[in-house]
Amino acid sequence: MKLKRLLALLLAFGLVAAACGSSDDAGTDTTDTTAAGTDTTEAGSDTTEAGSDTTEGSGDPADIATDFGVTDDTIRIGLNADLSGPFAALVSEIVESQVVYWEMVNENGGIGGRMIETIILDSGYATDKGIENYNSLADEGDTGVLMISENTGSPITAAIAEDAADDDMLLIPLSWASLWPDEDIGANVLEKQITYCAESMNGVSWLKSKVEADGNDPQLAIISRPGEYGEDGHVGAEIAAELLDIPVVYNGKGEVAGDDRTAVISQLVGSGATMVWTTLTPGELADIFGNAVSQGFEAIWSGNNPSFSYPALLPTDLAPAFSQYYYQSGYSVPWNGDDSEGMQQVVSEMTARRPNAVLSDSYITGWMEGIMVQTILEQAIANGDMTRAGVVAASREVEMDFKGLSPNQSYSGTYDEVVVRESFIYDIDSTKFDLQPLSAGSGSSGLLIEEGPFTSDILADYEFGGPCI
Amino acid sequence: MSFGRPLLRTSYNQDASIFPTVLQKGLAIGFVLFLSAMALDLPVFGDIPRFFLGNTWLDPVGLTLCFAIAALGLNILVGVTGQVSLGHAFFMGTGAYTAVMLGGNVGNEESWKACVPFHDNLGLLDQQGECGLGLPIWIWLPASALVAAMIGVLVSPAAVKVRGLYLAIVTIGLVFIGLHLGRMLPEIAGDFESGRKWPRLDIRLWKGDPVVEMTEDGKWFGFLELSEEQKQFFFLLAMVLLMTWLAKNLVRSRTGRALQAIRDRDVAAEVMGVPEFKYKRIGFAISSAYAGLAGALFASFTGRVSPVDFGLLLSVDFIAILLIGGAGTIAGTLMGTVFVELLPKSVEKGTAWLSGNLDAGGLLGGIANFLLTSGSAGDFGPVSISATAPGWPMSVFQWNFVIYGVLIVVFLIFEPLGLFGIWLKVRNYWKGWPFSY
Amino acid sequence: MITLIQTISKAVALGSIYAILGLSYVLIFKGTQVLNFAAGAISMAGALFMSIMVADAGFPFLPFSNPIAPDPGETAGMGRWLVLLLMALILGGILGLVLERVAIRPMVGQPLFALAVITLGLEIAIQPFNLDAVAISGRSIGVPWGTETWEIGGAIFPKSYLAAVVAAALSFGFVFWFYRSRFGVAMRAVAFDQEAAMAQGINVGRVFAIAWGLGAALATLAAIFFAMAPWPAAGVVSLEIHPVWVFRVLPVIVLGGLDSVVGVIYGGLLIAGFEIFAGQYLARFTGVLGPGYSTIVPYLVMLVVLLVKPYGLFGTAEIRRV
Repeated sequence: MKLKRLLALLLAFGLVAAACGSSDDAGTDTTDTTAAGTDTTEAGSDTTEAGSDTTEGSGDPADIATDFGVTDDTIRIGLNADLSGPFAALVSEIVESQVVYWEMVNENGGIGGRMIETIILDSGYATDKGIENYNSLADEGDTGVLMISENTGSPITAAIAEDAADDDMLLIPLSWASLWPDEDIGANVLEKQITYCAESMNGVSWLKSKVEADGNDPQLAIISRPGEYGEDGHVGAEIAAELLDIPVVYNGKGEVAGDDRTAVISQLVGSGATMVWTTLTPGELADIFGNAVSQGFEAIWSGNNPSFSYPALLPTDLAPAFSQYYYQSGYSVPWNGDDSEGMQQVVSEMTARRPNAVLSDSYITGWMEGIMVQTILEQAIANGDMTRAGVVAASREVEMDFKGLSPNQSYSGTYDEVVVRESFIYDIDSTKFDLQPLSAGSGSSGLLIEEGPFTSDILADYEFGGPCI
Repeated sequence: MSFGRPLLRTSYNQDASIFPTVLQKGLAIGFVLFLSAMALDLPVFGDIPRFFLGNTWLDPVGLTLCFAIAALGLNILVGVTGQVSLGHAFFMGTGAYTAVMLGGNVGNEESWKACVPFHDNLGLLDQQGECGLGLPIWIWLPASALVAAMIGVLVSPAAVKVRGLYLAIVTIGLVFIGLHLGRMLPEIAGDFESGRKWPRLDIRLWKGDPVVEMTEDGKWFGFLELSEEQKQFFFLLAMVLLMTWLAKNLVRSRTGRALQAIRDRDVAAEVMGVPEFKYKRIGFAISSAYAGLAGALFASFTGRVSPVDFGLLLSVDFIAILLIGGAGTIAGTLMGTVFVELLPKSVEKGTAWLSGNLDAGGLLGGIANFLLTSGSAGDFGPVSISATAPGWPMSVFQWNFVIYGVLIVVFLIFEPLGLFGIWLKVRNYWKGWPFSY
Repeated sequence: MITLIQTISKAVALGSIYAILGLSYVLIFKGTQVLNFAAGAISMAGALFMSIMVADAGFPFLPFSNPIAPDPGETAGMGRWLVLLLMALILGGILGLVLERVAIRPMVGQPLFALAVITLGLEIAIQPFNLDAVAISGRSIGVPWGTETWEIGGAIFPKSYLAAVVAAALSFGFVFWFYRSRFGVAMRAVAFDQEAAMAQGINVGRVFAIAWGLGAALATLAAIFFAMAPWPAAGVVSLEIHPVWVFRVLPVIVLGGLDSVVGVIYGGLLIAGFEIFAGQYLARFTGVLGPGYSTIVPYLVMLVVLLVKPYGLFGTAEIRRV
């Protein structure tokens, strides 16, 4: 018996020893298997050297330094999207429009002669699944991608932000948390448009002027859900209330949790507020808004953009009440809302390529992500460096031109300089709400620009030292 | 010497031993060696899991190992003691949060209370995520088991009194109460959605540099060149072996026999002098300890876990593992874990492979065409591979849930003994080969 | 005072809905000894059948248009809506029959636990169809009275409150009547002792089918009335609430006793009362109790009651034999 045990041990040892020589670490930092033994170079210099297809000459795609996700004729872009979770309806439209954007780009010869290939993974809005997806997108083998053009949700973005910085992976989040413009937290996280915090400041200012114009006393109620989204929007509203000197009669910070909201509703209705700012999900908003209104609570409502969703809420019985009391805050021009160059492009391309798709404002978000990626990659090509690190560097040099879809922005400078300060307020008109296929060329999301793009006085003067939360 | 025959016992010692036959022992050792070889990227072995699970396969396999420990714990409660619990996720959470309080990074005042949720819950800024005592793993890992066991004993007064389905419902309640606690105490749990960061698996003597580090690629013990994932894999594999050994020993001890007596007929057990409540409580405590340990490992391995991860679905996972594997047997529990945890990934991988063969023609192309739809008109497969279309047809991720649910039903109807039952049938067939009876 | 009256009425209305769903659990448990964890998926599927017929003017699984459905953009009249409701209940019942035939019948005589877990498997397998294939966002069930309310002396009562109470009264009336009928007696006999009932010539399989059909129809009814205005205020089958709220009814049946029809009424009212009153009157202590605390009140009440009475308030204590 003893002998056999020894034999087994020896065998195991032999296996281990054999493995040391020919280790081919899947999904780790080592990219060059033959050099595994002498792998003492820094990660930074390693990535630029690892691309073995760098050759001399100029003018053809092969001239550019590359590492992962780029071959001589394709560029792989990853999407870590929620396609089966709570935001699936919204996100799948965003992803669809981005896919159409790449169809258009590829038909026009791609970017720098390379075709764009998208790798779409579903996170279901679950953090662990999102991390797993990220790991496979960041794989430093032949399945990895160059950058991530859509990463749904603050929680997942928060979970992978640090890894993304380590891996030199650039990612565009579907999250407007005020964390990402901070270069320590969101080193490689390229947020578009205004932050929740700044949006709340604009929104509350607008609410105040609206309430005063109606001849009422501004009394603010702030309601939010727990989590960074809720906190971020909530803090922005608190800052605005302080700067504008509005009394906060009900402060429901993070109190909307679980599926019974009796406590929140009773406190809200009893508070006597004349204006309400919410940082919620559409389901939560509908519940609180509907119950409060049905109990005779009259106030002007608004909230961070994700609180309200026209496809979810305007087909319901609450539509008239939303028309009357609720104003939606937004980041971009609604579908077909003006005739800027960008709007004409997205409307005509989407209509031509997806005639049966139903009208949606979300297509604009996906289109903007496409514009961002293209702008960055073109800059990277101009720099001659389309490695992951090169793409990150290029993202800090460019000026995003959204051609009228949304305010332009750039990513170099301090937090205060990077933050976007323009947002929109939409009026909701449920009688105009009519979701038609794009081919019909008519219909409306029911959202009409009430004001914007505008920057409130308090936000224009406010100096951000960093994230609000 | 012979390889021995199953169920043929020639001595009491053999009946009571972990591996009654040489063949079983050989199989077990061989299997462990095989697993180790797979992780080491040897030419043939290393390609097998990659073919099924993709390049980053060590991630799902590491999770499977963590879950195996929890499943072993639930097996002691459900399979051995016969008490149905759907509250296993709650105890896993207990262990995980004990681990993060003891082992998390040191806060300003060296206390987890110093962690202010407002700024620190994301664990992103320098001073954030520092809400622990910074103790080494050899303290927080056993402590997480111990604390979970204590909580198990605390709730047992309610749990030992009720029986059967009532117990299942009560333990569901525990899960929801646990979720609420996670929401109430962001100081401990971090943000409700994105959670907080966990201490890594590095082994330290005290708060200094790790003695055996597991978070960097590099040499182990000075000569073993391993990647971070491989190191964690071996550590978790060792933990699973240890916990399996303990579970196996428990079952053949006096306590184990008492627990089984209660499962088989509680009143009869009491008549024979086995105090029912006492042993039920012990069963609860041991099972919770396993869950706590597994929860701590699971959270540390993932690196970031949120309270929602310890929801009812996690509990159901373990019940499914037991039923699919075969409740009451340790080998079955381990088989069930591997099957349930790696199936979704394999299905995803298989679908991807199939979609690559859409245009292959022949039988394969036909199957692919029948099952898959790319979203264009006139394509009627049930599985959508164009991930951008919500609604019917559903994506492979959604089908994974359907497959999972159907498997639970199918196993219960056709093979109540689970994978272990299938193994028994195979074994019995070969035992009498070439005579089938 | 007004708040108190409003709170009481809300608790009674919610209690009625809990009682309907609880009744579904109890019918199935009494008839077939199965604790139906699939109630969430079945009830949501039933409510979605209703939505497909009312909002889409179609039929589930069939490519026909529904002649009774209101015109697009219109709200159904009371009569039409009730007919559609009845059709949804029948469809929900058929779903129950199918599940019983496919998954439960082969398991007759197996341990209670195995049967309960089979329904957990069904829940997991059906829910993706509800959540991902049909309801991508909340779906309207086109209630005729929508969000309308009555105002009596300053107190506001949504019309759905009364509707819920009426639905509960009718359900319980039907079940009590049914229990006196031939099938009902057979069902009670089977619940008492399956083998003895079989020996008396009772068709146990038919009893199983009836229990599941009725149980699934009642679950559908509960889900539809829980998709009305004040619960999810938008009046939709909610993706957030409907998948999980059935678990809050488990304390109801535990309190009432798994096998007691009358107990369910008390259980429902008691649990809903605790939940709504805690939500209304402890709101000031949200900071201490944690946000969303009222959601776990049912479980806490259940734990306390079970410490005192392990078989609930009305349940039959199991006789233990050696």
